Amino acid sequence: MTDKITNWTSADDAMVENAIRRGASRRELLKMLLAGGAAVAAGSIVLGRATNAVAAEPVSGGTFKAAGWSSSTADTLDPAKASLSTDYVRCCSLYNRLTFLDKDGVTQMELAESFDSKDAKTWTVKLRKGVTFHDGKALTADDVVFSLKRHLDPAVGSKVAKIAAQMTGFKAVDKSTVEITLADPNADLPTILALHHFMIVQDGTTDFSKGNGTGAFVLQTFEPGVRSVVTKNKNYWKSGKPYLDSFEFIAISDDSARVNALLSGDINFAASINPRAMKLIGGQQGFELSKTTSGNYTDLNIRLDMDPGNKADFVAGMKYLVNREQIVKSALRGLGEIGNDQPVSPANIFHNPDIKPKAFDPDKAKFHFQKSGLLGQSIPVIASDAATSSIDMAVIIQAAGADIGMKLDVQRVPSDGYWDNYWLKAPIHFGNINPRPTPDILFSLLYASNAPWNESQYKSEKFDKLLVEARGSLDQAKRKEIYNQMQGMVSEEAGTIIPAYISNVDALSSKVKGLEANPLGGMMGYAMAEYLWLEA
Amino acid sequence: MARVAASPRSFLGHSYNLVGVVAALVILAWTLIAIFAPAIIPHSIGDIVDDDYFGPMRQGLWLGSDYLGRDMLSRVLMGARYTVGISLAAVAIACFSGVVLGMVAAVTGGWLDTCLSRFLDAMNSIPSKLFGLVVVAAVGSSIPALILTLAVIYIPGAYRFARALAVNINTMDFMTVARVRGESTAYLIGSEILPNIIRPVLADFGLRFVFIVLLLSGLSFLGLGLQPPLADWGALVRENIGGLPFAAPAVIIPSLAIASLTISVNLLIDNLPQKIRDRDT
Amino acid sequence: MTSGVLNLVLKRLAIAVVTLLIVLFAVFFATSMLPGDTASILLGQAATPEAVAGLREAMHLNDPAILRFLRWLLGLLHGDLGTSYANEMPVAALIGGRFVNTMELAGITTLLSVPLALTLGITAAMLRGSLYDRTVTILSIGVISVPEFMVATLAVLLFAVYLKWLPALSSVNEAHTLTDLVRIYAMPVITLTFVISAQMIRMTRAAVIETLSTPYVEMALLKGASRGRMVLKHALPNALGPIVNAVALSLSYLVGGVIIVETIFNYPGIAKLMVDAVATRDLPLIQSCAMIFCLGYLLLITVADIIAIMSNPRLR
Repeated sequence: MTDKITNWTSADDAMVENAIRRGASRRELLKMLLAGGAAVAAGSIVLGRATNAVAAEPVSGGTFKAAGWSSSTADTLDPAKASLSTDYVRCCSLYNRLTFLDKDGVTQMELAESFDSKDAKTWTVKLRKGVTFHDGKALTADDVVFSLKRHLDPAVGSKVAKIAAQMTGFKAVDKSTVEITLADPNADLPTILALHHFMIVQDGTTDFSKGNGTGAFVLQTFEPGVRSVVTKNKNYWKSGKPYLDSFEFIAISDDSARVNALLSGDINFAASINPRAMKLIGGQQGFELSKTTSGNYTDLNIRLDMDPGNKADFVAGMKYLVNREQIVKSALRGLGEIGNDQPVSPANIFHNPDIKPKAFDPDKAKFHFQKSGLLGQSIPVIASDAATSSIDMAVIIQAAGADIGMKLDVQRVPSDGYWDNYWLKAPIHFGNINPRPTPDILFSLLYASNAPWNESQYKSEKFDKLLVEARGSLDQAKRKEIYNQMQGMVSEEAGTIIPAYISNVDALSSKVKGLEANPLGGMMGYAMAEYLWLEA
Repeated sequence: MARVAASPRSFLGHSYNLVGVVAALVILAWTLIAIFAPAIIPHSIGDIVDDDYFGPMRQGLWLGSDYLGRDMLSRVLMGARYTVGISLAAVAIACFSGVVLGMVAAVTGGWLDTCLSRFLDAMNSIPSKLFGLVVVAAVGSSIPALILTLAVIYIPGAYRFARALAVNINTMDFMTVARVRGESTAYLIGSEILPNIIRPVLADFGLRFVFIVLLLSGLSFLGLGLQPPLADWGALVRENIGGLPFAAPAVIIPSLAIASLTISVNLLIDNLPQKIRDRDT
Repeated sequence: MTSGVLNLVLKRLAIAVVTLLIVLFAVFFATSMLPGDTASILLGQAATPEAVAGLREAMHLNDPAILRFLRWLLGLLHGDLGTSYANEMPVAALIGGRFVNTMELAGITTLLSVPLALTLGITAAMLRGSLYDRTVTILSIGVISVPEFMVATLAVLLFAVYLKWLPALSSVNEAHTLTDLVRIYAMPVITLTFVISAQMIRMTRAAVIETLSTPYVEMALLKGASRGRMVLKHALPNALGPIVNAVALSLSYLVGGVIIVETIFNYPGIAKLMVDAVATRDLPLIQSCAMIFCLGYLLLITVADIIAIMSNPRLR
């Protein structure tokens, strides 16, 4: 993989100190670091003072208060129903998963000790011994079977029911071994089980308001839509962790208010701040920023099976009309990486860096629009705050269209019910896709012919065949080759324009240590609570 | 009782004063800008002209740039159309309907009064956000829908206040006399009640105007009304609120624009030219 | 007279109940017009037709909406507010604490803003045309011309971030002493006072000016009554009706309209609860919140109506 900044050397120290003394702004500092060859690990930069935390020793104790951005009465401690970042953070602090993704996107074991399979169809999972739930009961295979099987029950309303449907058989072979049988071979099972929804709960749980899990913290207070407070689990099986005494999580939906709460000292951590607030925090002593590019993106979807998407020239024209640099610069304020119209982001080990995005070319765009006969017609484009930055992106594309005589009519619709009414349905609309750990999940959810969320209704038999082939193969090299090819196919043929992978920036007090970037999302893939500590 | 303002002058038999004139001129200025905006803006409102965001006021970008890097001067000038036009239309409808209904209810009394009051009270209890969402869902978003929604949300308040005033007037002797004379309801409300409540009603009008200007942007955010890149002043403030810590012109200027318009409307109402013969000059 | 007043109150109560029922039906009707239902919204992006159907079955949402609504109404008569669709907790538990918070904030704001507004409005009317009057007018209109979220954000920037005198968040559960309480409530209360005072000030001023210009007041002046006495004894009682109505309208905002203050200060009140409820189409929660808002509003205007009637001898 690429080089990583893991430790600052004293040479780096000196360089940064000098620059700061010369009055370098955060922006200049960043440019300097990147130019100087400080290449970064897939998707991560930690911007901060030169005296960096990675080498420091964790300190126990302290109350940590963090604020996310969305919370409602639908907040839940049931991992199957978890849907917002807020839910994920809470679940990560109370429960554990069988596996998890580390900062390089590599699957690591957590509650499981090992995964074995000869044919990628039947898997034997050995569980860690000596793990107990908060109520004292020991973790057994029955708990795992219960936790996984419940996703298949429609009454549970699991968010990953479709993904879990691959698992057709569960058997508790003995107290610490589980056998999982899949409908079709899938080499990604260990990675799939790293999804937040597959947290392990106790066998037979129906009331999740107690948050009884094996995780680093024990639930103290939970008020849906208001806050949650969890305290240190003294019997946590990862000895030494967690460092924090207690962790309170609230949500402040107003961007400015969230940043202000951090600046005034009311909270230690503000998740996902607006890029425009970075200037504000960067200029203040005692605060740091952590950027993650995890594979979250907002895409412009043109349905290939409806007017006007059924005209190939129209789709081609749109792909040339989207000014990706401008979008990253103006809409995302530099907090994004230019995308190449396919969903596998650089944070993923299977990302294909050789696919080049279509360059912004208004003349070619005009040519194609003319050929399609649609130049000058008013084309509605649906955008909403529900899809991050979609309205800003739409406006930029609209202005570019206006320059060549193309009338794109941006319609802003309420976030309320957006996913229900417009997403997947309108002929041209924006969507927002959260990061998924494997290309197989992304392709199965979004691009297979019968995919539930096939935003542009892309249908290709060849694609479907390749998908199944890659899924069942245990040969990493072969899989990479196939996935590279599939990424190319999506970029060329599908109707989803992905201008950029959106970076997420968390802002924190300098007293908070231990934060690293993670491909599953900000806040260390939402699992930050057990890894953080507060400097005295 | 000291009067510090310029003493009233007379013109064509009416008295007016400086404050009222200035206020009227400000309103006139914004109205003219609203009408001629497309012809005078230096940049198209959708064009990104600045690499930076919340840029300062400078040559070529006289009011700085907004959160995307678009020219604020153009956006504020165009915004005048929507703030002035839509708000005035909506407040006119709301106050006219509310006041007429209030007076009718006060004079007629009985079942009409009870039903109307209950119905409008019920309407006032429905949260405006919910109402806005329903309108979008039902009739989609268009500027007439936006105007009507704004008007409907504020009719109950105007009604209640006008009715309270009218009820008081209604109990006075001259009203009883007029009724005994056999005057029609229309005459009663037009010639007897209205002149006596017109000034507080106009004060209410001025206030409702402010509410509507602000609610306008809230509804646009719900998707009802103005579509990007069009924006009214309230929307401009809302989308550029991130510039507040930097005292960016992008957020200050539209706020000042709103304040200038609303204060002028209310000051004008307070200082309307009055017939000198009026007993309470 | 007491039996007259009692009659009045009873009649008003009956009317209030009728209005409440109308509102509940209207809100139900409005919500049912919105696309989507709880199951599909909770599943969000994960909503496939089978998943939605399954969840709907499990949540008993397959009964027609009107039936569920009537069931809720029936439960209401027994004092049961129902169970929230979104998280299966009893609605009363969800609302309970947050309702108390809203009342506290509303109460403190009322105590501050009403006397302030009335004083400013009456004195401005008495000193009409003076510099004082103009200043009060310009300030009050200027203040409400600033959008609420801007006032709140400005206040936070100044007092919490820059001066660090007050906390940016109003964490009610961390208030242990009186000073804590004052610090926590300071900014939300001031923001809300800014927002609602203007209406009360302007309407009070207008109503008082109107009564000051009536013949009998001029008569009292000619008879030698002092200005203050005249205002208090003669003008004010007649202006009371409209003034009280303006106050009631302004205060009704404090129950259900303070969503922005609740969001920016993270204050757990019921305005945000209602917004959440609409977003998840949580019928029992929506109806319960709507009922509370409506009751609050009705209480205020009933009191206003009664005061207005009693203040005018001809209406009793």
